[in-house]
Amino acid sequence: MLHAFKYAAPRSRAEMLDLLAEHGERAKVLAGGTDLLVNIRGGNMKPALVIDAKRVEGYGGLSWDPAEGLTLRPATTINDVLRDKRVRTDFPLLAICGHDLASYQIRNRATVIGNVVNASPCSDMAPALLCFGALAEISSARGTRTVPFTEFFTGVKKTVLAKDEILERIVIPASAAGTKGEYRKLKRINGHDLGIVGVAIARKGGSLRIAVSSAAPVPVLVTGLSAGSTVDEAVAATLAAVNPISDVRCTKEYRLFMIETFVRRLMEEMK
Amino acid sequence: MTKISLTVNGSRYEREVEENRTLLRFLREDLGLTGTKEGCGAGECGACTVFLDGLTVNSCMVLAVEADGRKVETIEGEARDGKLSPIQEAFRDNHAVQCGFCTSGMIMSTRELLQRNPKPSVEEIKEGIEGNFCRCTGYQQIVEAVLDASGQLKEKGELRHA
Repeated sequence: MLHAFKYAAPRSRAEMLDLLAEHGERAKVLAGGTDLLVNIRGGNMKPALVIDAKRVEGYGGLSWDPAEGLTLRPATTINDVLRDKRVRTDFPLLAICGHDLASYQIRNRATVIGNVVNASPCSDMAPALLCFGALAEISSARGTRTVPFTEFFTGVKKTVLAKDEILERIVIPASAAGTKGEYRKLKRINGHDLGIVGVAIARKGGSLRIAVSSAAPVPVLVTGLSAGSTVDEAVAATLAAVNPISDVRCTKEYRLFMIETFVRRLMEEMK
Repeated sequence: MTKISLTVNGSRYEREVEENRTLLRFLREDLGLTGTKEGCGAGECGACTVFLDGLTVNSCMVLAVEADGRKVETIEGEARDGKLSPIQEAFRDNHAVQCGFCTSGMIMSTRELLQRNPKPSVEEIKEGIEGNFCRCTGYQQIVEAVLDASGQLKEKGELRHA
């Protein structure tokens, strides 16, 4: 039995923002529910009000604008992203990371925005968004602000979102289209599992980007790399950027070892 | 309490539900459709898999109120007019059912897989049912059942694994 809460399903973004302004302190936004309902069930979250984002007009699907880029919205599911032709051709890293997230039926419900708002260090979508230089467009009744994903995560399960705010759009800049990428995720089993470490790599023109999950309190983007960086330079920069812990899933030393292994392999594959 | 109306296996239902009631509990306890099972209750095992508007979901992680105005399909809708579906027959013929607890969810995921990929490879089958745990069969018979349901088995009914 889940703890008792009220439920609201606003139809417009104005209603959504008003509800958050009034009840934000004790409310949680529901998108796919694949984290929220597990958290409520486990007693980790006890919202008085659950606000469903899926019936808000304009909150679904994804769209492309040649000037702005690719936009993902609060109800855009992982499988929406995987089914999208432009994602597969122009932003393959987004599809590769999404494909590694949980199981098929969870990907039918789980959203990209939910995955990053949950702000787990092991987020599968964050490494892709960090590599793409994606932006978080955050709204409240007070207005809208834009934050790059490098500044979005502030700690384990913590983000810059205030209680009355919602992450309304993720914008992947048009300049990132055509980026080649790969993602390696260490798991206990071949099926769906949380990551032990995850390493994403992205190359386009003169740029090389590496992002790592489950290796610090927040997903990390490695800085100071360029297309000319050697394998050893990429390893050194990555190991300097991460700060893994030992926990129930593995030791700090094993995480560091596998991060280095993945960076070396990915650098070879993505020459 | 919130009033919801939805379609389950083609029948229309209107019910008052608690906002914190999961779709799984609603199906099992309010509608008496106990073919859908609760395993882990947290999206790991897939025993509760049902269709919501044509896509498989873990019904333990869906609120009943979210299903308002939507279409739900469960294992009870799989057989038609007292006749097993081809997927159900393939599960029976290939010994893909042991304790049976995972079977409802397994069949829902199989139906979705075959809708989008009518002739899946063994690898694609394993991926299609990755969200459904079976603790009896070791999966081999289930994979064979899905191959059979998709018309890809030559020696129907033969024991192929050793």
